[in-house]
Amino acid sequence: MQDYEIELASTDRMLLDVIVRLKAQDDSLTFRKSCREGVCGSDAMNINGRNGLACVTPVKGIREPVVLRPLPSFPVIRDLVVDMTRFFKQYHSIKPYLVNDEPAPDKERLQSPEDRDKLNGLYECILCACCTSQCPSSWWNPETFVGPAGLLQAERFIVDSRDRMTQARLDDLNDVYRLFRCRAIMNCTEVCPKGLVPSRAIEMIKLAMVKASI
Amino acid sequence: MKRALSGLRALLVQRVSAIYMLVFIVFLLAHFLFNPPASYVAWRAWIMGPVVGIAIPVFFAALLAHAWVGVRDVILDYIRPAALRFAALALLGLGLMGIGAWVIRILWPGRG
Repeated sequence: MQDYEIELASTDRMLLDVIVRLKAQDDSLTFRKSCREGVCGSDAMNINGRNGLACVTPVKGIREPVVLRPLPSFPVIRDLVVDMTRFFKQYHSIKPYLVNDEPAPDKERLQSPEDRDKLNGLYECILCACCTSQCPSSWWNPETFVGPAGLLQAERFIVDSRDRMTQARLDDLNDVYRLFRCRAIMNCTEVCPKGLVPSRAIEMIKLAMVKASI
Repeated sequence: MKRALSGLRALLVQRVSAIYMLVFIVFLLAHFLFNPPASYVAWRAWIMGPVVGIAIPVFFAALLAHAWVGVRDVILDYIRPAALRFAALALLGLGLMGIGAWVIRILWPGRG
């Protein structure tokens, strides 16, 4: 751990603003950032013990001293930069794309407004990994448990009316590890900076499995 | 056992067995509270009755299945080395089988 002292400037609104100014003080300080408005998910880090995005964490009212750590349980590359390889491997394992072998229509595959509504609360995930990094089940079985981010994305494609691989997706998750290591601790829902509810998505996958098995 | 009780099936077995055990324990407590058997003979006759005689073995089967799924989950969560994990699962399986044999011996003394 390294200590820094910095005076707040009138332009500092979010924690990321302060970290960027710290970088000017110490150019060896390493972190990721890009959109600086909570869309890219690059600057996910552990802020005072809780995962979040520095760019949407207001400096006003933050508990001092501010303790910044890299995302828990992820291999650290340097300072606040972590290796996301395993996270994205789990994400890719759920086949995060529509699978539909039916002949393509002239224009596009249409959805009813009701079917489109089912994707709300799922498609907004920015893959910042705040949830998976704060999930004890992912700490215990990172190679075998898909994790809340991957499972939220799995549900996003399971409920998509244009996808034709629903049963295969459910079968793929129906083993001891990939889905059922979730112990409903719900840290994922607690820390999601986009206000999404991965724990509900996980329950919906289980419910879909029950319905499919009847 | 792994294939038979994994994924969704394990979850359902855990939930259904929990509900069954809860209902049965409430039934058992209510029976002993409101209609306690007067003697050992009366108690034994009740135990061996057509309904309770089936409900009790089912209760112990539910208990063993519930314990297998629950403790196995704890082992899978916390014990990472494969050999140690396998040993713990084997120990759990043997322990539960032992308890099952003990239950059979008590419920059906002639066959145990």
